[in-house]
Amino acid sequence: MDFELTLEAVDRDGAIAEALDELTGGTRADFLRKAVIGGSATAAALATPAVARERNTAKDIAILRFDLGLEYLQAAMYSEAERLRQLKPRTLDWARVVGANERGHVRAIRGLLGRNAVKSPTFNFRGVTEDDAVFTKTAVAFEDLTAALLKTQTAQVDSRRVLAALVSLHSVEARHAAWIRHIAGIVPAADAFDEPTSRSRVARLVEDTNFITSTPRTKGRRQPRYTG
Amino acid sequence: MRRTRPIRRSQLGAALALAGVLIGVAVAVVLPDGSAGPSSARPSLPPPPRPAFAPENVALGPDPVAFWAPVLASASARVSPTRSHVVGEIARRTPEGTTNLVLVLGHAKRVAGRLWVRVRFPGRPDDARGWVPRSVLGGYTPVRTRLVVDRARLTATLMRGSRRVLRTRVGVGTPSAPTPSGQFYVRNQLSRYRSPFYGPVAFGTTARSPGVSDWPAGGFVGIHGTNRPDLLPGRVSHGCIRMANEDILRLRRVMPTGTPLTVR
Repeated sequence: MDFELTLEAVDRDGAIAEALDELTGGTRADFLRKAVIGGSATAAALATPAVARERNTAKDIAILRFDLGLEYLQAAMYSEAERLRQLKPRTLDWARVVGANERGHVRAIRGLLGRNAVKSPTFNFRGVTEDDAVFTKTAVAFEDLTAALLKTQTAQVDSRRVLAALVSLHSVEARHAAWIRHIAGIVPAADAFDEPTSRSRVARLVEDTNFITSTPRTKGRRQPRYTG
Repeated sequence: MRRTRPIRRSQLGAALALAGVLIGVAVAVVLPDGSAGPSSARPSLPPPPRPAFAPENVALGPDPVAFWAPVLASASARVSPTRSHVVGEIARRTPEGTTNLVLVLGHAKRVAGRLWVRVRFPGRPDDARGWVPRSVLGGYTPVRTRLVVDRARLTATLMRGSRRVLRTRVGVGTPSAPTPSGQFYVRNQLSRYRSPFYGPVAFGTTARSPGVSDWPAGGFVGIHGTNRPDLLPGRVSHGCIRMANEDILRLRRVMPTGTPLTVR
């Protein structure tokens, strides 16, 4: 059961590491083809009541639900890092600011989806939030892929309002990516153009991290055997 | 008196033609796409859509008082990551069959490539602490509540931050089987069992009754309801913390698993 807590600990097939290696030596396109962890943020902030009343198409609901799952993941990871306070000051500042953004995204998408919103899963970040180097690398992968995913989704949504929101998110996520890249010592904008990535790829990459876990069973129906 | 020469028709025509050319050039310059003369139909852009979201950050909220983590694999707790001396064994399950929990203390340490975490766990002595590999633990859950049991005043008080959420009178251990004092935590919640003795809900804690040595399942202290409310408050139990059934039901609504417990 024991394993070293490195990036490999959350990347069993080595795909994240491979992707991150590409950050310094490969092209952006190479990275996006190989990267594993999936991005996040897709919607920003609070849905207005008038907008919330509008009916979303089935396609837009599917897109927003997927984005909500990613937002839960990122918001939980950055929030945990902020609470544990075990990162270097510069990384912790990033987690504070970006965590507030991602929590805003969660609230916004939930508001827009209404009863179609999915609940947050349970996460185990397996020490990533307690190790500055691993956290930084993982965050770079998340944010880069988020921006790449949003590019794909903006061409897929039906609603112009959702499209406008996704575009406004995209620039914010690109800033997150540039900032954490700078912290990691990676050139924030190495290439003239970025490439999109697919939802299925991002889903597979998130699954490979094993960050999403089952909820611990802390309730039972057995006869108590306490001392009484 | 000098008379001006009348303008010839040919000169007038040339001037008008020149003016027309100049106006045409001016229009072409002002409207480079040539699409929107005053009298022409100008294609209009659609109004910009109002985004479905309006950006707003969400603050993290107050600091938790503790983090708990489920135990994914049985482990030996060490006195330190660099010393192999074992201070206790941590099981994966509680005696009640639920997932065992530990409270996370302080910062993690990386030793020889492995991350270690200091935890509080149920053991002997009651307030057992030790280091375990991070890999044997699941995800962290923050807790903002704290339960304080005052044995002298026979009260239990649930705090969330500095706010008192619930306060009730309780029964505690008799002088021969006292409720232990110290720092513990709530690690499970049982209900729907068939025992009116424990009331409708029972919380399991990591405290052990010092006066009970051979109790089944380790002699852990619970917080539960009762079928004898007439005995409360008082020193009436074998170490458990008893409260009226309506109070334990209220507690269930506001006290999550993992809540630290202070008995004083």
